[in-house]
Amino acid sequence: MTDLVIQTILLSFILLGIHSYFGLEIVRRGIVFADIAVAQFSAAGLALSLLLSGEPSYLISVVFALLAGFLVALSKRVGEYSEAFIGLLYAFGFSAIVLLLSRSPHGMEDYLRLTASDILFVSRREIVETGILYASLGFLLYLRRHIKGDFFRELLFFTLFALTVASSVKLVGVLVVFSILVAPALVSVMLGKGLIFAWVYGAAVNTAGILLSFRLDLPTGFSLVFFHALLGVALTVYVATFRRRKGY
Amino acid sequence: MERLIFLFLSLVSFSFAELRVVVTYPWIGELVREVGADRVELYVIAKGTEDPHFVIPKPSHIAKLRSADLLVIQGAQLEAGFLPPLLLQSNNPKIQPGSEGFLDLSSFVRLIEKPEVISRAMGDVHPEGNPHYNLDPHNMPVLARAVKERLCQLDGEGCTLYEGRLKDFLGRWEERLKSWDKGFSALKGVKVVAYHSLFNYLLKRYGIVLLETLEPLPGIPPTRDHIQRLINLKGVRSILLGVYNEERTARFVAGRIGARVVVLPHDVGSIPEVKDLFSLYDELLRRLKGD
Repeated sequence: MTDLVIQTILLSFILLGIHSYFGLEIVRRGIVFADIAVAQFSAAGLALSLLLSGEPSYLISVVFALLAGFLVALSKRVGEYSEAFIGLLYAFGFSAIVLLLSRSPHGMEDYLRLTASDILFVSRREIVETGILYASLGFLLYLRRHIKGDFFRELLFFTLFALTVASSVKLVGVLVVFSILVAPALVSVMLGKGLIFAWVYGAAVNTAGILLSFRLDLPTGFSLVFFHALLGVALTVYVATFRRRKGY
Repeated sequence: MERLIFLFLSLVSFSFAELRVVVTYPWIGELVREVGADRVELYVIAKGTEDPHFVIPKPSHIAKLRSADLLVIQGAQLEAGFLPPLLLQSNNPKIQPGSEGFLDLSSFVRLIEKPEVISRAMGDVHPEGNPHYNLDPHNMPVLARAVKERLCQLDGEGCTLYEGRLKDFLGRWEERLKSWDKGFSALKGVKVVAYHSLFNYLLKRYGIVLLETLEPLPGIPPTRDHIQRLINLKGVRSILLGVYNEERTARFVAGRIGARVVVLPHDVGSIPEVKDLFSLYDELLRRLKGD
């Protein structure tokens, strides 16, 4: 089993690399819902393709994720109400899935297989492909600084974000993506640290979560979500009480 | 080269190790235990209380599949939702479909409700037919034989033991089968409604009439229009549920048509009273009769 543990941890690191960068950007922009909205839209794309042809289409799901990314970028123009709009997008994507699948036989089974697939089940080939994909997306992210014009820079950011989320949702599901994206970023920002800290912290939590899930024989994906959320909440509570006493 | 080494190792290992058998559902585990006794080390993936269509995968499932000599499944696509990725990650060439260490029990029984034409408008239809054939007690002897054959194939030295145990099991089974046939025959012609087409083999075997299912199509939750149609049914004695189905819809319909809601076990361990294959059918009979 050691190879499987190592493989799973490796994948979680690959996911963490790019997602915590996005997470920091998104926590700083104050629109954490953006991730879940984009993920939910990409899942709605999968649901729609299941209904139309009986086959999941990665292309349709990417198109949907891009659309959501574009809407999120656009919503930045309404400034402070952006988060409410993104919340609505999420609800829209989620309800669309349920409505689509209520019409589709087989749907729920197929859909669960696509979105609640466990991080355990990612094959070695998929891990390599994902690593290559994220490395190229990361390079494009790095090039982003040379783009003139705020709106276009944001648009590129959310386009890359949508591409990343659409592919990772297909691999490990909406919730795992969300927790890897938000939890390390939140902790890092709260402690006044940067990307490197988010990586190290996230890697430690991932490793502990995966090892514990193997030890205690719990579903691995949800163990990750649980430990990230638990530690994130605990640290936030700690920082909040600690700071108040110091008179911040 | 790898395959050669593997072949050599497997030949060596059978001579001193007992068989490690993984099965998907508890009732299959019971068959393996009846035939193989202590000579096989048994691991069951699903719990009896779980919906057999949706089993939650865990790390231990992969660990057990990795070291298995034999995997026995119910087949007919019942495991399609969770088994393929487990099997892939197990990386175990012995138990892949088509090899000696893979046994699909659905190939030994005649499946009912095999659709003439497959269309997606028919709901969550299994193209091979209804996969819940374990609910017909008359299917068990042939399945027990199939398990014995495969155990003998993989572990020649234990074959005498397996033969003896099978004979003993079949003797006890035939005897009980007579009394079940007698008991269930009193229910011939009784009209029922079921949540899902889970008990169809049992109902068909004993001439119990299944008028409708609460699901408009297999795998699709009850809709308002469909329920409206159901409350006009006449002469329904019971509404049958699996242990994992929600009861609210059934209670509503039952109240309207004067039927009673009966929760039936579908597998060993689904309810505390059902500890083995024998008590599964005892309990099915007891609950259907309404004692």
